[in-house]
Parts: sequence; structure tokens; C-alpha cells
Amino acid sequence: MTQGQTIGITRAQEFPFEASVCPKFSRMPLHTPGFGSVFVDRTKPDARSLGITWGAVGSAGTTATGSKDITMTGLNRRSLLKTGAAAVAASSLGAPLIAQSRSLKIGSYGGYFENSFKEHVYPLFTEATGIEVESVTQPNSTDWLVTMQQATAAGNVPADLSLYARDTLIKASRIGGLLAPLDLTKMPATSNLDGYFVFEASEGPLGVGAMSWFTAMVINPGEVEAPESWAEFWDNSTYDQSLGLSRNYNSQFLDIIAATFFEGEATFATEDGILALIEKAAEIKPNVALWWSAESQMEQSMKNGDVIGGQYYLDVANLMMADGFPIQPIFPKEGNPQDYGSWCLSAISDKTDEAAEFINFSSDPATQALMSRKIGTAPLVDKSKTDLTDEEFTFVSGTPSIKPAYEAYLDKETFIKESWDKMLAGA
Amino acid sequence: MTVAESLSEVAEETTASHRASFRWQTVLPWALAAVIIVLCLVPFFLVIAISFGRKIEGAAWVWDFTFENYQRFFVGTLWPDEVTFLYLQQLGYSFWYAVIASLLAVMTALPFTLLLTRLSRKAQAAWLVFILSSLSLSEVFIVMGWDILLSNNSGLPALFKSTGLTQWLKDMGWFQVLRDWGLANPRNVKFKTSEFATILTMSYLVWPYAVILLYPALSRMDPSLSEAARTMGASTSQVIRTVILPSVRLPLVGTSLLLFVFLLGTYVAVTVFADPAKHTTAVAIYTNIRGANLNAPFGATQAVILLVSASICLTLGHMLNRWAEAR
Repeated sequence: MTQGQTIGITRAQEFPFEASVCPKFSRMPLHTPGFGSVFVDRTKPDARSLGITWGAVGSAGTTATGSKDITMTGLNRRSLLKTGAAAVAASSLGAPLIAQSRSLKIGSYGGYFENSFKEHVYPLFTEATGIEVESVTQPNSTDWLVTMQQATAAGNVPADLSLYARDTLIKASRIGGLLAPLDLTKMPATSNLDGYFVFEASEGPLGVGAMSWFTAMVINPGEVEAPESWAEFWDNSTYDQSLGLSRNYNSQFLDIIAATFFEGEATFATEDGILALIEKAAEIKPNVALWWSAESQMEQSMKNGDVIGGQYYLDVANLMMADGFPIQPIFPKEGNPQDYGSWCLSAISDKTDEAAEFINFSSDPATQALMSRKIGTAPLVDKSKTDLTDEEFTFVSGTPSIKPAYEAYLDKETFIKESWDKMLAGA
Repeated sequence: MTVAESLSEVAEETTASHRASFRWQTVLPWALAAVIIVLCLVPFFLVIAISFGRKIEGAAWVWDFTFENYQRFFVGTLWPDEVTFLYLQQLGYSFWYAVIASLLAVMTALPFTLLLTRLSRKAQAAWLVFILSSLSLSEVFIVMGWDILLSNNSGLPALFKSTGLTQWLKDMGWFQVLRDWGLANPRNVKFKTSEFATILTMSYLVWPYAVILLYPALSRMDPSLSEAARTMGASTSQVIRTVILPSVRLPLVGTSLLLFVFLLGTYVAVTVFADPAKHTTAVAIYTNIRGANLNAPFGATQAVILLVSASICLTLGHMLNRWAEAR
């Protein structure tokens, strides 16, 4: 039995749970909530309580500042004494105890992905801040949103910070009441990120980029020459019944078509534009041997030679190539779609400060580089800010990048889905 | 204490214990009914209630009372500007796969079971245990097993290539025919995705059930009937047609209907082996309810319609059976 077969069986067992075992699959798009007025107090903490919180966990100096604020508002002697005693307690004996009790529940996509976070990222964060991390398994973005929606209604959420793909994040903000706005001033390192990776809703920033990933063009280098453009996949003489593309309407194949044959994201503005994209997709149907819905299907088909090209996740493709399988990821001249996940704070979480510290830590170029090396995600900061080598960088990223038309997918959700399904079904 | 007193005491105790057991007997059925209502009927009515809900574009869905989802199922979301029978087509494929695969399973299981009943008791027991244990394999396992068997580098196509069969097909010009049928790419034969692989796997999936359901009826069949027919000069095919089949008609029809209903909800086999153009309602329900879409109302609508259609089929099958019986 070949290596491919062995892995095939393993994958077989995993299949129904693809979302939990394949981090990438879980990154497929999803929904999102906003937040309600109820939570506004939490998002704009009172200066005094803030002072105390920070004082308790920070240095004695900070504590003193916090106490000063309080004494200014409560002028009598008794409260001054009480506050002073509290400050002393907090700065001496209390501080280490309180610091140890700080914790944060962070969600991430189960399997390899979550394990990598637990092994490489969370321990460094705990070391740097003293905040313990409790890792929470998310099946993916989209199904997790449903869980969080119900949990929020029930008043007890399983995670403070969740990882949502951008479309899930937008969906969450539209549903409303699910996410708390973030205070970027408490996360100075977020200034390293391109503004695109901070999602601003009317109520404020709801998500800060965590990491990103590419869906790349892949080919079997033993069977075909590397194409220069996505357009070559439409060539029936080479690719008849040979490609593996994603079956989901919102898995960015339409964005690839828009970038290759039309005006990019602008084409999504009208229904006619979208129909033109879908018509172009219909032309590639004879060349598609596999419309995959789970990442493992495409992996298996590339290994088995059932398909010789298609769209697949860049980092996994690189890992497979490193293992000697016949696959090669390519950046054609139009580029590859880039999607990203964001850290989002639950609207009913009371760990605002801890969450801020984690997001700040995650946005640090050193952490971004660490995730690229250990998890295979593309950094959200400029390469020059990191110490990634060219080789390490091309393993997880590339140019140009195609930005998906997230808003259009949500605004015209039913229309795009039904038109796409009709195209696939030939109905 | 007089005898009369103690007697009356005994009588009272008896009545009390009677009363207690009587209460217990009244409570149990009610408790069972409550369990059934909570576990079966409530989810069922919930699905029906959700099917009238309304989807909010780009967000989730809300409770409502609208027939839009049902209208969409029959004519599409763009009606009246545009009509699509996409969802009816998917329902059609659900039925098509289930009918063909269940018939195929029953037709192949029948001769097998017939031969099985002629084996020694020990051999029969061994076969039945083997078949029963194969039921412990989940659909996922079976599908992935076939996936490997039909794969280009490790399965049937590899065999075709290494034995020269592919080249021979190309030389004879039959390769083009296979390509026209979607069973080949420019390099080799391919069996995924195809209706062939889908139906094959689905039949395989329910084949053990077919054997187990047919076995009791066939093992009870009196062999002297066939023997008598043979001594009177009937050929084997005549015996099968006029003696065996009529005597097992009821279990045959019953088994086919049961497998048919079971296969209507097949998900993994269809997702993996069928082309998206030939996907079924079960797959469509999942893609709607899943987070990527969050359109539970439309998914529920499809589920309700699938259920109603299946019920109609079962009723028709039942009526047909009764009609044949009466004749």
C-alpha cells in the first residue's frame, strides 16, 4: 500500500468531521453578529475601575495612579484610608495572586490548527502577560457563529475570543448583539496591521486580523506545465475532466473569475455582473472532475491522481509538496484569493482587558512570524517587519492577492447561491 | 385484635398495594408518551415550524409565517421573473438513486440469500454473523473504501492501466465512448464522479440489510414446493418465477420499500461520488442549514417536502401491495 492510500484511510475516518480536523475547511466563510446597546458600558469602561484593574495586575506605580483617581472623587478620609489599604494590598501581596487568576478562553479551529496554537502561541502569551489561556475548540467559523448566537442568548458563552473568517464576522455584525467593539488604543501593536485587517462596523472595530491564508492554484507538475494564468484552466484539450474546484458558491472561485476575465470586485456590484461570472464558471464545467466540499476530498484526489489541478489551500499544498506528493502551488499572474481570520470578542465576555492584551500580542510582528513558521498562515504585517526569510515567506504567502467580494456574497446571498447551484446542476 | 379486624387490615393492605400498582400502571404510559412527545414530536414540529421562517440576507433567519420557502422549492427564488426546477430536480435524483440502488440491492441479495438458506446451519450462522458485523461499518467507512477502490492511482483505473486494458480500449476506439459517458478523462478511465459509483456504493451500503430482511422469509420457505415443481417438469426459471418469487413477494416488496426510504437520506455517498449536477435533496438540505448559509427555513422546507414525498411513495407501495394481494 502506498503512502497515499494509508493517508486516504485516515482521512476517511475523519471525513464527517472534516471541519474539526481540517483547519482550512473551517476557514470557509461564514456569519456574524454585531452587538447591542446593553454592552456599551463594558466597551467603555469607567476610568476609575480601569485604573484599579490595571493596577492590580500591573506594577505598584500603576496601582497608585488608579488609587489617586479614586480618592479624587471620594474625598472623605475613610475612603481614602480604605483605598490606600487596598492599594497597598494589591501592590504587595495581592498582585501575584490576582495575576495568576487572570485567564482568557480563546477559540480556534480544532485539530492541527488549535494544537499548534496550544503548543506554540499560548504558552508565550502566558509567559509574557501572566494570563492563562484556556483553548476552546471551534468546528469552523460558520457553525461556531450559530453556537455563539445561542450561547449569547442563554447568557453564557464558551469562549471570550473567537476566530471568525471575515464574512462570518460581517454576518455577526449584521445579526447584532454578538460582538463587543474593541478598544484599539489598548492594542498598540495593531498599528502594524494593514487597515484592511481591522473590521470597522458602525459601533467600532469588531474584529482584528489574526492570520490569513491563500487559496492557491495547484497543479500536478508531473502531468502539466505550470499555467501562467487561471484562464488556462478553461483549455479543454489539456484539462478535460481533470480539475478539482470547490463546490461552495462563496469559496472564491467567482473572485478568481472576476480577477481573470472581468473587472475584479466591481463586477459583483450588479446581478448581471454576477451572472456573467457564473456563466464563465459554467464554461469550465467539462474540465472539472471533482467539485470538492471538504478539503480532504481535494487532498485525496491530488494524491490519487484523480485530478491534476485546481484550487487548494497554499500552506497545505506546500506541506504536501514537501512530503513528496505530486502537487505544486502556483501564483498565476492574476494572483490567488486571500482570506483571513479575525479575533472577535464576545459581547457578553467580561475579559475585555485580557482580550486586548492577547490581540495586542497576536498583532506583534514576532508573533505573526511565529504563526507563519509553526502554523503555516500568512502574516498580516509587512514582511519587512518580520524576520521571515524569503523561503519561509513564499511558503505561506505570495503576490498578487485577490480580495474576495465579501459584502456582495452577503448582500446577494440567496441570489448567488441559487444561481451558482443552478449552474452546477445545469438546471 | 380480632380475626375480623386483622382480615380487614389485610384487605386494606391489599387494596393499597393494588392502588399503588394501579397508579404505577397509569403513570408509565403517560411517562412514555411524554418521552415520545419530547424526543420525537417536538423536533418534528419544530422542523415544520421553522420551514415557515424567513431568511435575512447576509445574516441569519427569523420566525415568521411565510410560504415563500415552499414557493421557492417549486419555482426558485426569482419567480415570477425566472423559473427554475433546480430543487425538484434534486428531489428527482433523491428518488432515482434510492429506487435504483434499493432494487439493485434486493435483486442481488435475493439469489444470495436463497443459496445461503441451502447451506448447513453452521455455515449459515457464520455468514449471518459476518454480514451483521459488516453493518457496524459506517457509511463514511464504506464510501471511503470505495473511494480508494475507484481511485486513479490505487484502484480500478490503475488496474485498467497496468493490465493494458486502457490502451486496448483506446486502440479499439471504445475509449471515446467511455469519455462520452463521463467515465474517462484524456489519460485513463475514471469512475468518480459518476452515477455508476454513486449507485454502486448505495447498493453496497444497504445490501447487508437486504440479506438480513429476506433471510427469515426465505429460510422458512418449504423446499418441497420447489422440489415438487421440479419433479413435475418445471425448469429452474419457471420454478423461480412461479413458485419462489410469488411466495416471497411480500418480504421482497417490504424490503425494497424499507431500503428505499433508508437511501433517500444518503449524504456521504452522494457528496463524494455524485457530480454536483446530480446532487440530491439531502445534500441541499445540509448546505442550506450549515453555517455558510444559515438558511434553516429553506432547509427545513426541503426536509418537509422530502418527508411528504417519501410518505406518498410508501402509501402508494402499500396500496399496490394490497391491490396485488386482493387480485
